[in-house]
Amino acid sequence: MTQTASWKSATLGDAIGPVERNVTTAAVITFCETWGQGRPGRFTSDEVARKEGLSGAIVPGIMSMALLSKLLTDWAPNVTVSKLDVIFRQPVPHNQPLKLHGLITDEREVEGRRELTADVFLDMASGNRLVTGQAVLLLAKG
Amino acid sequence: MVQTHLDYDRSLLGKDLPAGSFDVTKESIGSYCASVGETNPLFTDEKAARVAGHRALLAPPMMCNVFIRGLNRPDVKLQDARMRMHGGQTVESLVPIYAGDKLSAVTRLKDVYAKTGRTGTMAFIVWETEFTNQLGQRVALGRESFMARLQDQAPTGA
Repeated sequence: MTQTASWKSATLGDAIGPVERNVTTAAVITFCETWGQGRPGRFTSDEVARKEGLSGAIVPGIMSMALLSKLLTDWAPNVTVSKLDVIFRQPVPHNQPLKLHGLITDEREVEGRRELTADVFLDMASGNRLVTGQAVLLLAKG
Repeated sequence: MVQTHLDYDRSLLGKDLPAGSFDVTKESIGSYCASVGETNPLFTDEKAARVAGHRALLAPPMMCNVFIRGLNRPDVKLQDARMRMHGGQTVESLVPIYAGDKLSAVTRLKDVYAKTGRTGTMAFIVWETEFTNQLGQRVALGRESFMARLQDQAPTGA
């Protein structure tokens, strides 16, 4: 588990994570139910996914974003994720070890708050990069 | 550079389309948190959120994505496109979203374009969505990019 960051400690070049996750099929089904997707689809059914040319059911892109956002709010519990911009490079599989991590690439002070920019990544634990992104974070003073 | 002509319903471009309203409930926040293993008290404990200065239980930063996902949008009617995949997404959080909020969404087709790479030509469909809460505050902006294969290629994206 990564150490948590604060307004005082977070700085350019800080690493965020890494955190290892394994997204289970059950978690994906629960996630899909939050927007009302009840029927089998590429996210919840290997059969449907294979008919669409995928090797199996995949994690929804917005669930990958949720996991990357959680990486950031775990790293700094008082952080505001004001922007997250991601590119889905490859499908994210269920039930496989994943690595989420990031790096602070810029910092500035805006109206008494520290604004940080971070590059964030979701990789296979074996190293294959699946999702890349950039986040803008606000850390409250104190 | 070779221009690829894309045949789709151009009448949708730039047009604001009301996309429904969404109730943010403690239950929906709880379900979202459970599915991603979220344990931050701001998102899981209303009392802790209020102690931290919030007016109610706080929704996690990317939760508006599930409302974007649930939007009913018109078909762009892009011709000769196969298998749409999610290529990218951006969310800007402008104002916190809380349990008890009622969000209204407006969506618009921002762009449709083609791009040719090493593996062939892909079409990109870009939608933007704005959410406003019951207080009239713009709370979040979302931008989604979907890819559609125009030739046989290995799938990418989500």
